[in-house]
Amino acid sequence: MTTIEKDAVVHRVGSGPAGERVPIDPVDVALVRSGLLSAARQMQRALIRTSFSPLIYEILDFAAVIYDRRYRLLAQAPSLLTFMGTMGYCIEAAVEAVGGESELEPGDVILLNDPYLTGSHAQDAAVVMPVFMAEHGLVGYSAIKAHWADVGAKNPYATDTVDVFQEGVLMPGVKLYRKGERNEDIVRILCANSRLPRELKGDLNAEIVGVRVAAAGLCRVIERFGMPTFEAAVEAMLDHGEASVRSYLAKIPDGRYVGHGQFDDDGVNEEAIPFDVALEVEGDSCRIDLADAPDARGGPINSPVPATVSACRVAMVALVGGGEGLNEGFFRPLEIVTRPGSMFHPRRPSPCFMYAWPAMQLADAAIHAVAQAIPEQLVAEPGGDIAAFGFWGYREESDQSWLVGGAYPTGQGASARGDGASALIHWIQGATRLTPCEVIESKSPIVVDRIELDPDTGGAGRFRGGLGVDIIFRLSEDCEGITIMERAKNPPKGLLGGGEGRPGSGLLIIPDGRTETVAKVTGFPVVAGTRLRWRTLGGAGYGPPAERDPDAVREDVREGYVSEEAARADYPHAFGDGR
Amino acid sequence: MSTRLGVDVGGTFTDVVLIDEATGEIRVAKEPTTPESPDEGVIRGVGEVISNGGLSAVEYFLHGTTVGINALLTRSGAVVGLLATEGHRDTLELARGDRPDSFDLFWKAAPPLVPRHLRVPVKERILFDGSVEQALAEDEVEAALVGFEQEGVTAIAVAFLNAYANPEHELQAERVLRRAGFEGDITLSHRVSGEYREYERTSTTVVDAYVRPRTASYLAKLENRLRDGGLDGGCLLTRSGGGAMTFGEAAERPFEAIISGPVAGVEGAANLARELELDEVVTIDVGGTSTDVCLIVEGRPLLMYEGRIEGLPIQSPWVDVRSIGSGGGSIVHLDEGGLLSVGPRSAGAQPGPACYGRGGTEPTVTDAACCLGLMGDGRLAGGVELDRDAAVRSFGPVAEALGQDVLELCRGVLRIAAANMADAIREVLTERGQDPRTAVLMAFGGAGPLFASLVAAELEVPRIVIPPLAGNFSAWGLLGADLVQTAGRTYIRPLDDEVLAATGSVVEEIFTALEGRMTTVPDSARREVLMDLRYAGQEHALTISVGADGSIDGSAAAIAELFVDAYVKAFTEPLDVPIEIVTVRGALRIPIPPPGEPAEAARAELAGERTAPAWSFARGEELDFRVVDRAALGAEDCQGPALVVEQTATTYLDAGSTARVVAGGALEIDATGGKEL
Repeated sequence: MTTIEKDAVVHRVGSGPAGERVPIDPVDVALVRSGLLSAARQMQRALIRTSFSPLIYEILDFAAVIYDRRYRLLAQAPSLLTFMGTMGYCIEAAVEAVGGESELEPGDVILLNDPYLTGSHAQDAAVVMPVFMAEHGLVGYSAIKAHWADVGAKNPYATDTVDVFQEGVLMPGVKLYRKGERNEDIVRILCANSRLPRELKGDLNAEIVGVRVAAAGLCRVIERFGMPTFEAAVEAMLDHGEASVRSYLAKIPDGRYVGHGQFDDDGVNEEAIPFDVALEVEGDSCRIDLADAPDARGGPINSPVPATVSACRVAMVALVGGGEGLNEGFFRPLEIVTRPGSMFHPRRPSPCFMYAWPAMQLADAAIHAVAQAIPEQLVAEPGGDIAAFGFWGYREESDQSWLVGGAYPTGQGASARGDGASALIHWIQGATRLTPCEVIESKSPIVVDRIELDPDTGGAGRFRGGLGVDIIFRLSEDCEGITIMERAKNPPKGLLGGGEGRPGSGLLIIPDGRTETVAKVTGFPVVAGTRLRWRTLGGAGYGPPAERDPDAVREDVREGYVSEEAARADYPHAFGDGR
Repeated sequence: MSTRLGVDVGGTFTDVVLIDEATGEIRVAKEPTTPESPDEGVIRGVGEVISNGGLSAVEYFLHGTTVGINALLTRSGAVVGLLATEGHRDTLELARGDRPDSFDLFWKAAPPLVPRHLRVPVKERILFDGSVEQALAEDEVEAALVGFEQEGVTAIAVAFLNAYANPEHELQAERVLRRAGFEGDITLSHRVSGEYREYERTSTTVVDAYVRPRTASYLAKLENRLRDGGLDGGCLLTRSGGGAMTFGEAAERPFEAIISGPVAGVEGAANLARELELDEVVTIDVGGTSTDVCLIVEGRPLLMYEGRIEGLPIQSPWVDVRSIGSGGGSIVHLDEGGLLSVGPRSAGAQPGPACYGRGGTEPTVTDAACCLGLMGDGRLAGGVELDRDAAVRSFGPVAEALGQDVLELCRGVLRIAAANMADAIREVLTERGQDPRTAVLMAFGGAGPLFASLVAAELEVPRIVIPPLAGNFSAWGLLGADLVQTAGRTYIRPLDDEVLAATGSVVEEIFTALEGRMTTVPDSARREVLMDLRYAGQEHALTISVGADGSIDGSAAAIAELFVDAYVKAFTEPLDVPIEIVTVRGALRIPIPPPGEPAEAARAELAGERTAPAWSFARGEELDFRVVDRAALGAEDCQGPALVVEQTATTYLDAGSTARVVAGGALEIDATGGKEL
């Protein structure tokens, strides 16, 4: 539901039930909830096991969900958080695109990847299946949005697009299946536009397998309980989700908390882009205000509305401590304010290839704002980036393109509970996994010369920030590359006197001896023998460094997490002579 | 030489089963586990079933133990030093960069088994194709050893990048370490696993080095005590991937036996499935804190080729047993949003369910069963008297908050617990494309027979089998294990006849290596060849059996057909994409003759002719249930409502269901007569 307030737009989900609340056995509620979750997990496994692209099976760059007929999230499998809050938009847009609910028929599957509908970039392709039952008609939807390796953008991945048309072939919501009959022409068009058609086709098929598994699961739950009980249980389940979030929000002191973020640049224009996010807590409700956000950018760091809404939802769920059995009810206590024409509410055709980066920083800034108020209950800022890079090329002998890339771990923020974790992928993509070097080397002309913890990257403090990672990739064939380093100029901030995490950096070391700094660069040519040194961000510290236990300082030095030089500078008290 | 002895050491109890193969006579015992020195509990349990001199008649001593897991849990393994490829010192600590719950901003992994200062990089590099890019710097290995010795390292793990493709540098490092005088254990990653993924292989290598001293000394001590007691037969330990290995082999490769407990029960179920000629069986082993689920197809449990213990991956065959946090001791509570929840917290053995009267006050699943009368009229084995009043009291606060009466709440609790189990089973089944309505449910463990009917109704499974000795079934399962050795090799090639011809030599190498691990290989040995296959471009593979006599049987086209059949079964539609081989696997299996059938289950002597009131889920009302001694049942039908009691378990037979004794001493229940819940 959206409403217009002056020049801003307020986004919220419907706060009450669609129908009347009916008394229901709490046991049935628990059973319906677990049955739906189980169906969502089955969908996820089917997708992973049949997919072709490491982006799906290794990196888990997807969301797999079940919705009811009123576009309310019933269950989702653990997957990419950034996708989580966007799926309702995807489904609603898909239905609207084909002419509304009345045009849906059993066996239909709708495909869409228009960023302004899906709240992603064009590579994230949503497959939506309306679920029908003979006696009830349309009962809900199963949907997957998953990252395709390539869908024909100006580059396989890009930091420098200037409009959405450079970002890939757009599907505006088309019936890929009509009454179970597949329109192969659509797949042929997509494949003809993709650098990696085999992966695209395989991953599309995997998404189809997945939504069908979930559709069967949804029907099974409804059959098992009967429609009246199912519907009543759904209302109670959503109410329960809402109640659990409200009970946590009530524990945060009321107030308006303002967080500050800053993007290094937009990928096209060089200047830095500061922004504010205000998070207001009142009683057991929460409002995230982005009305003052900067205007939409010329480069692709714009975040379409569904992505912005999703980032805010994710931040709120993280704030309240978790999302087990997440459903639409969790989102009811939250409203979000955006300003059309801003980077968090861009208008078509503003470019948005890097939409995930603003989402990430938005969520971190919102959480950090609240952390200032209740520092002992939250964490210092993590290395707020997924530090992604990739390479691609073409091998004549096999007539195949190859592509390797992904997110890399950073240090996490320290907290009152202890040092931050080293080397985890940013929490917003927290299920994402590092691709093994042995897999990369067996699939592409890359030798990983180094991937180790990077000492001295964690912010100093009573508790130290986690360490980033020091990586060297060596390319043994000519190819092209992309790097996406954010927050190279905006280090993660500490809490209660804790130090900043060290920002990341990228350096190309060319065989002729030249070197070149890289941050957000797309499609740079690489000659065989070139190395990329990529150092990711450390997490920030918690509490004054002078309060760190001297034994912990000495252990850090012994383990090589902190150099002796840095330790003497940050923690003189640990070295008896005080020097 | 005619008896066989199985001892399964679990977290709470050590279960013992002895069968006299000549007479079929069975003796069972349950002793508290003695975690400090588990051999104590084993010897005591053995003493319960065998009198002086009886050990000399034991032909096989079959064992399941958690000693390896305990070394990990309590962090009491060896001081391990790790040699790594330069630039890859932190493989173990980086892991895969993911976290179990993305929303958990505080999450941190447990510290790695080898701290950073004992992870030493050395110059060497082998590429993905096995070629050597950088020779091993032997002086750096020697220098590392000096450091290790100063730090008191007792075991060294060597895990170099791409060692799966060429083991030479690891072997060379071992020679250098020995030449320099190191006498402790050395684990080389390529011996542990021939598969790629450096974190998983390194983790397995380190776990092996870490648990080896504890496992080896425990097994040696136990074997000595048994030998002193007159044991002359073979000593075997169950493997995580099924089958058994000798104590000697287990001391060399302890990582292969790290989860022997749950596997033994599943192995027993598989043996019973073969005997009863059941194609598709799903097992539930319901214990105090968790329920283990496993699928058995054509008499074999489904295998994975990677397991996970305490968050650490183990690259080794692993019976695909899935655990959910729902068991008899699971605590009933209201969550933050006020929704009724069961588990995952458990009352465990102490204080245990409220009805056991050992000080537990929080309501558990067992208490719900007790309130409803499903556990009979209060007398349990081991002299436990159920305190039904305490069980009813424990539900007071939750019932009040929900505005339900206690019995209504208890019925809900059991439905939720059963539904949790059913969901876990359904996920396992649908992942493999199996339909619950054609499967047989086999239920064991202390509370399995209690839940079987409820779970079957949830799943619409028509047929239930309760194995003999259901409460001690893990120990019974040990008795039927074959001797098994396995190995796999990553070998990525297109599936065609030319490649298959060349693969023959890989298969030979695998079996030569496997036979090298055994002292003797009898003629009865079977050599199974398997392949992990996938559509080129996919990552995940399906494992297909491609030969039974140590060589590949059939053409590429025939093997492709087997793969496509399995793929369609799991994922509905085949793809028009070439198929490739990922891994070649060999399994060397030496059958040991199956144990004789139990002549009669130990008599519970609990039940006279009597009835007890209990809730019937099928009828939706309280009925008088007959209390029947399982040992007294015969091939004639036993009609529900009845509670079938034996020494360590109670089978809940609802109204409309019928039970009868079938081959193998099992109880078969026809559940089709029961209404849905």
